[in-house]
Amino acid sequence: MNLKMDSHTTDGVTIVTCQGRIVFGEEATELRETLKKLLASTRKLILNLSGVSYIDSGGLGTLVGVYSSARASGADIKLTGLGQRLRDVLQITKLVTVFEVYDTEQQAIAAFKKA
Amino acid sequence: MAFQTITGSSSESGSGLFPTLVFVQGNEQRTINLDHSPFTVGRKVDKDLVIADPRVSRDHAIIITENGRFHVVDQGSKHGTFVNGERIQRQVLEKNDRLEFGVRDIAYVIFNPQHATSNTAREFLSQISGMHISTETTDLEKLTLFLEAARKLNTTGVLDEILVTLLDATLKLTRAERGFVFLKTDTGELRLAAGRSSRGEPMLDDKTISHSILEDALKSNSEFVITDTSQSLDLAGRQSIVAYDLRTVICIPLRKPQVQATREPGANPTDESSAEVMGALYVDSRFASRDISSVSNDILRAIAHEAASLIENARLVQAEEAARRYQQELSIAASIQQRLMAVTIPEVPFARLCGRNLSCKEIGGDFFDAVNTEDGLAVVLADVSGKGVSAALLASTLQGMIYSQLTARMPLPEIVAAVNRFFTQKHIGEKYATCIIARIRPNGELEYVNCGHVPPLLVSGQQVTRPAHGNLPVGLLKDATYEGDLCLLKPGDKLVLVTDGVTEAENAKGDFFEDFRLEAVAGKGSLDEIFGAISTFCAGNPLSDDCTVVELSYTG
Repeated sequence: MNLKMDSHTTDGVTIVTCQGRIVFGEEATELRETLKKLLASTRKLILNLSGVSYIDSGGLGTLVGVYSSARASGADIKLTGLGQRLRDVLQITKLVTVFEVYDTEQQAIAAFKKA
Repeated sequence: MAFQTITGSSSESGSGLFPTLVFVQGNEQRTINLDHSPFTVGRKVDKDLVIADPRVSRDHAIIITENGRFHVVDQGSKHGTFVNGERIQRQVLEKNDRLEFGVRDIAYVIFNPQHATSNTAREFLSQISGMHISTETTDLEKLTLFLEAARKLNTTGVLDEILVTLLDATLKLTRAERGFVFLKTDTGELRLAAGRSSRGEPMLDDKTISHSILEDALKSNSEFVITDTSQSLDLAGRQSIVAYDLRTVICIPLRKPQVQATREPGANPTDESSAEVMGALYVDSRFASRDISSVSNDILRAIAHEAASLIENARLVQAEEAARRYQQELSIAASIQQRLMAVTIPEVPFARLCGRNLSCKEIGGDFFDAVNTEDGLAVVLADVSGKGVSAALLASTLQGMIYSQLTARMPLPEIVAAVNRFFTQKHIGEKYATCIIARIRPNGELEYVNCGHVPPLLVSGQQVTRPAHGNLPVGLLKDATYEGDLCLLKPGDKLVLVTDGVTEAENAKGDFFEDFRLEAVAGKGSLDEIFGAISTFCAGNPLSDDCTVVELSYTG
């Protein structure tokens, strides 16, 4: 299983750092379960994907799925730390128009504060 | 319910297995163990065999045992009970009799059909258990011999036969009056799997077994428990407490054989509690008839250790059989999918289309298709998320939807919007697809809708451009909207569509094929060259995803 996730809370925002690959199978399940658990107690979540080398179609599906259900229950997930590969994927799939992507964690936290 | 013992000659009741009913209705076939009496048949949902047809009466018939034979008795049903085509009120059942309840031909039951497997195994096993070994051989040695032989024979894995022969051996060695094997089901319940008397008669009923003794034995850490029913809690609930009903009980929990490696260092080697209990052997004898409480502990221990692995082996073989059958089903599904995916390329004077798919699995989530209408020659290339059977199912549905809408000449953005609505409404979960539909007219006008897919390559002379218009994938977000884009092809131009299995093909170093290599080879060559380049790049490293390349050349 090639995905490690750590989380901590700052300023009322929970930041989740991912390390590894987000792919169809155990990794996608890990992403889903961990985020679902955290969203039970927070509405502001930042996903830092700087350690993620690769995301496949299954992983993307899980990411969007968790994002949709978060939004449906009034929470929000912002993305940061995207490498070139992940940026390309979000660009081709036009998911850049759906997710809010920031260059740094600080910018994402600031965006939560402004809202 | 009264205690029912089935007696009969050995040829009738066979090896003491429960008789089976095979219920056939349309395409459905189920095997049911006739493990209690009376066995009820009818339309009511609480019947043992529920046949949901209005011509079946609510309480239609019962199957009972009497004097060792099985009888079917009609319960005053409206449309009658039939055995081998003849309407009966009450009939003794013979092997392979065909029973019908109210409805003819659509649904029927075969009584105790012959088992096709291993008569020879059973014969051999019964020969061993009746084996005359030299008188110096102790009971324990006999048991070990027998169990070893049974294990070796377990290649056909007929679990029921193994259980009964194990019971026979246990009864012989403990000199108990009757014995039962209970096995845990997937849900953790204990199910009566076999029952024998010391006279070799099958025992179907576990009503007079002390279940509290059974439960206690399973919970305990002991290899076996010898007790008697005067100390059990069951007596309070019994209908008739008669002195002669008191029994000595030996209960041997069957624990799954442990792999040595999983033992913790320093753990007490006799601590059995960590081993998983898979069932129990239960033998008992009435006080009045025999005292079995002094049976050799060595024998009981041997049974405890060997029986579980014997049963586990048989189960594994059965599981293997099931897996093999499942694999067969999967192959059939794969071949059906392959046929669905076979593309008939339409011939048009102004364009040429060719496509090739390189699958890395038996069942895939990539497909392409082509439809020619008055609006032009349309080609679709799609890639369903994930892998395996679920992706393939979605791919086939997607293919059907797009094909029919193209034939109906729907506008391209509307086609994908309809697909998106369909899949997001079904809440399939995280399944979605990326796709491109491109349609070229005789005048070179190319309309395309790209839904989250790898951008197409437009090759014009030596120039390769990537038309960049795009939308969200289909099936991902329910409020997504879709738009198309236009470009104009000159004679000699071609459009190349690929799935991301191409750009993400990896070599042993972990490099990806990437866009720049694809653009380089697409500009110069066609399908063969593109696949050749991928193959050279990967240099033997296996593909992790399907690769599909489609080329649409405009000749004008």
